[in-house]
Amino acid sequence: MGKRRGLLFYLSIYRKILIQDLKSKMSYRADFVISTIGMVLTNVAGFITFYILFSNFPSINGWDYHHMLFLYGFSLIALTPVQCFFDNNWNLRFMVQSGDFIKYCFRPVNVFFYFMSEVFDAKGLGQLAFGIGTLVYAWSHIGIAVTFLTMAKLILALFAASLFMISIMNIAAATCFWIQGSGYVMVIMFRFKDYAKYPASIFEGIFRIIFTFIIPIAFVAYYPSLLILEPDSFPLLSILSPVIGIIFFIISYLFWMLGVKKYDFTGS
Amino acid sequence: MNPRKLIALTRAGIMESLQFRLGTFCTLIGNLLYIVLVYFLWKAIYASSGSDTVNGMTFSDTMIYLVLATALFNFLEMFIVWDMSRSIQSGKIILDLLKPMNYRRYTFWSYSGSHVVLFVLTFIPTFIVVMIITHGAIPLGFNLLWFIVSTILALVINFSIEMLVATVCLYTESTWGINIVKETIVLLLSGASIPLAFFPEKLRRIVSYLPFRAVYDIPLSLLLKKNTSCEIALIGLQAIWVVVLTAAGIIFWNISVRKITVNGG
Repeated sequence: MGKRRGLLFYLSIYRKILIQDLKSKMSYRADFVISTIGMVLTNVAGFITFYILFSNFPSINGWDYHHMLFLYGFSLIALTPVQCFFDNNWNLRFMVQSGDFIKYCFRPVNVFFYFMSEVFDAKGLGQLAFGIGTLVYAWSHIGIAVTFLTMAKLILALFAASLFMISIMNIAAATCFWIQGSGYVMVIMFRFKDYAKYPASIFEGIFRIIFTFIIPIAFVAYYPSLLILEPDSFPLLSILSPVIGIIFFIISYLFWMLGVKKYDFTGS
Repeated sequence: MNPRKLIALTRAGIMESLQFRLGTFCTLIGNLLYIVLVYFLWKAIYASSGSDTVNGMTFSDTMIYLVLATALFNFLEMFIVWDMSRSIQSGKIILDLLKPMNYRRYTFWSYSGSHVVLFVLTFIPTFIVVMIITHGAIPLGFNLLWFIVSTILALVINFSIEMLVATVCLYTESTWGINIVKETIVLLLSGASIPLAFFPEKLRRIVSYLPFRAVYDIPLSLLLKKNTSCEIALIGLQAIWVVVLTAAGIIFWNISVRKITVNGG
């Protein structure tokens, strides 16, 4: 893999590729506008679903309306990085199938980095705004004190939470190196994220373990946000979530790169 | 129309979808896990509500409804919008338009094969699992017949909605956005994510005048015998939507197809 490059080098490359991507996006302005409207609409529909649910049932598993809203807003923010920075995963299987993927293997930069940097999905910013609005509203109604410590915890919790969906999608996308017709794997994994906004305490038995450690949607909102919602009695997994998140991310990265290696070898 | 041509298209579709066995297997596992998610969520919801019946739906009613809605969703899912935009970009659409067969009919029948496969591989296993879990809570009788008729009509309605949306894409050159708008609206207003019985009165009245409930809510109500009006009326309503949406789709397509601009091909 040649010599190791520094972080600054990668940052400057990312900036250059990003500008190119935005320029090409701007040439399809109608598409950009419609996509943004679509993104806002999904969030509105998600909120309507949520609202209908709570107009029939006052609480879910001991979580009231505002605490659930907190989880909801938190999950939307935590899902923004995967939407904005890792959206190119959706194109992976087409590129692998058509053979275009080989171009990434010939550059003197990290393949994973180069591939992901090629697309910055600006629609995710609409989701971010929606998430922040929801979180602030819920936050003020629950009445959590705004201190330096809680803000620091919030940022750490969001960072940790965002790693999990990124890892899930990396692995789901990389299955295309081995499985043909793997599109559904990504579609289904992406639909799982809709359940990240509910407290993971609803799962029982073996499924608690599956949704915590195998398909870790319990970490997308529930465990990290307990750091803020239950500052005195959060479970051990909450405080460990940044570490577990990093481990998950590394595993997904290695799996993804393993796929690249296999692709290299077959020379297809 | 020569039925042999149509059957040939169906067969090709079946063989194409069976090609990706491992992918199909993963889909099956993924769907089962998804059902588990739905199960735990609604179990918690009903446990917190304190009563067994909410808006005339018991827990097992809701579960059956949502699980079968998911199964129907997987079964009905089409990627016409994506396929069409890709074939416009690559120019392949010209070849499809030149085929000695109406484009709309060609698209419908080339999807029929994967529908058959998905029905056998996703809907029937889900149905059996639901029957086992709920100890046979789904009544077995004439409702099955109504359900099958209604599902076929739902398939045609869903196809018509897809074709209408795909035609819009000829103008906007936007696929992702248009598709997500369609999917969101259909899933919410058809009752696939929350049964329509839970909707507030006003919203439910609006929804009853829209075609979306004919895709998921009507077949499932017929199957579960939760329908408030008689079977014939519901099937009739679906039939009206089939006629209206098909006519609208054909007219819109015929106007728009002249506008296609393809570079190369």
